[in-house]
Amino acid sequence: MTGAAVGVRPVMLEAKGVTHLYGRRIGLQSIDFRVESPGVYAVTGPNGSGKSTLLRTIVGLLRPTSGTLSVQVDGRPLDGDSRRARIGLASPELSFYEEFSAAENLRFAAEVRGLPDPKAAVHDALAEVGLSERAQDMVSGFSSGMKQRLRLAFAVLHRPALLLLDEPGSHLDDAGRSIVRSVVERWRGNALVLVATNDPEEMKLATGRIELRGRRLGDTA
Amino acid sequence: MLWRILLFIWISAAMIAAFTWAPLVPVLEQTTRIVYFHVPAAWVTMVALGWSMLHSILYLWKRDLKHDDQAAAAAELGLLFCIVATISGAMWAKAMWGAYWNWDPRETSIFFVLLLYSAYLSLRGSIEGDEKRARLSAIYSILAGVAAPFLIYVVPRMYDTLHPDPIINTRGKVDMDSAIVICFMAMLVGFTFLFFWMQSLKVRATRLERLRQIHV
Amino acid sequence: MLQAGSNSAVAVWAILRKECRSEWRTRYGLNAALLFAVTALTAVSFSAGRLGDRQDLLASFFWIVLLFATLSSISHAFVREVEGHTLLMLRLVASPTQIALGKLLFNLLFLGVIELVTVPLFMVLMGAPAPHWGTFLTILLLGTLSLAASSTLVSAMIAQTRGRGALFAGVSLPVLLPVLAAAVGGTRGQWQSHDVTGEIKLLAAYAVALLAVSLLLYDHLWEE
Repeated sequence: MTGAAVGVRPVMLEAKGVTHLYGRRIGLQSIDFRVESPGVYAVTGPNGSGKSTLLRTIVGLLRPTSGTLSVQVDGRPLDGDSRRARIGLASPELSFYEEFSAAENLRFAAEVRGLPDPKAAVHDALAEVGLSERAQDMVSGFSSGMKQRLRLAFAVLHRPALLLLDEPGSHLDDAGRSIVRSVVERWRGNALVLVATNDPEEMKLATGRIELRGRRLGDTA
Repeated sequence: MLWRILLFIWISAAMIAAFTWAPLVPVLEQTTRIVYFHVPAAWVTMVALGWSMLHSILYLWKRDLKHDDQAAAAAELGLLFCIVATISGAMWAKAMWGAYWNWDPRETSIFFVLLLYSAYLSLRGSIEGDEKRARLSAIYSILAGVAAPFLIYVVPRMYDTLHPDPIINTRGKVDMDSAIVICFMAMLVGFTFLFFWMQSLKVRATRLERLRQIHV
Repeated sequence: MLQAGSNSAVAVWAILRKECRSEWRTRYGLNAALLFAVTALTAVSFSAGRLGDRQDLLASFFWIVLLFATLSSISHAFVREVEGHTLLMLRLVASPTQIALGKLLFNLLFLGVIELVTVPLFMVLMGAPAPHWGTFLTILLLGTLSLAASSTLVSAMIAQTRGRGALFAGVSLPVLLPVLAAAVGGTRGQWQSHDVTGEIKLLAAYAVALLAVSLLLYDHLWEE
């Protein structure tokens, strides 16, 4: 990446006592950390320890029940709208419109985000995850592996400063896993990357680790 | 404890006075008595509606579940008093106008309030998760707050024009005896305190229920 | 500020186009709504006959058909997002207000299409006298605005409840009763050549109030 040095935006993510409760069920137990770009961090922890909840809180879909979570790009804190603009999330729960093709889904996302050149952005993102050949196919005909690739493309579509990948290797075959690796490698220098995973292979990609305390499933406050 | 006993004595005294001391109004005769129950019940219906909406706004602002408890309790009690007011009103209408229901503006208003309360409570009942229930119910409550003035004051008077048949012989302002006024005001105050007492009981019960669920 | 405004307009426009394209491809909602409207109209027309000289009944039937066609179909826009699990994607790219505004515009268009079919059919089947078009269309437009504003907000909430669509009509009705009353009054009045300024003012005030409160509430629709 020749332009890497110019394009790099320093990103800082800091959590202070962040807790999220779903009603009386704990989604995320009080957590503190501070990470900065560039770097790849693995978010690890047993099932139900709140990996997905943490990523959703970072992107602003959930508000912490207590504590503060701040994201800064270029030293400026991000609020709701700019968080959406600067953060990319690929999550297993992410679904696309079945009646649209892969390219149309991404084109829609690019247009809503107000990207300057939606067409080029969609083209690049699809190429990055190896879906260019299937761009015009309807999502309803996609296998779960192809949908997972589309999720990755969706996450990098707007060239985020902070890239969040939730279980990126799930549903993927070896070729797919190598795409996850190449996506992480490509964004390692340009963005802060968080990968929520318990897969030892994916953990090897990371330079640091955010470990969520384990607790029994269904524990209450 | 003390003021609960005081409230009991207050309402009992007002009730006894209303039946023994206060005179009857000529045209209304025995139906005069209903004014001591029906109007305070209707008044509390409105107080509860306002209280519920106020706490809905406070919830969206502060995001504290205690406001949602208040809003929910007020809506349930409001529905109860609304039913009391509707039934007592219908009984009075039967005695005075010869039919239980005539769609006169006031009947229309109270019927709409009944609809609002029912819709709000059925919406509450179908949402899972305390925060989500609180948030969505508050949104609906505020939306209903926009509709309420139209439902209560504007539309019933339009319906009046939709049904041109002379249904009501508009009562002239009756010169109320001061004894009637005193009893009526005493009942109004009594009902208001009764509502806030029941409200605090309901809110406390909700809070205890939530604590119990956490500790099982 | 200006930048943010134009960004929002771009997002809302993109969502509106997405809705239209999605509806065009699947025709989930529109077919059902049109079929419902035509069925309701047929039932009314068949059972009541031609009512050219009963403008009061005509006005009531007209708005009841329109109201029920709306209530039976329009909650679909959000329920579909929830059932297809696509709401997450939408929320990742747009703010709740942008999403809701996009849906509001789509719902307005949707109602417009339904009316385009229902109104002429109603006039013909029921033998309605020619309306005062200016007044009639003003009432129709203001009534439609209120219907769309209320339905958009309520359906976004209903989509998050356990029963999904089931409660929609019951929960919408109290909010829509003022619209129904004023619109019926106004429609009847214009057929009888009465002055309906009062009804139009009421409809306008109510539409503005609903839109204003919607704009304040949209941001709370999904947890941020």
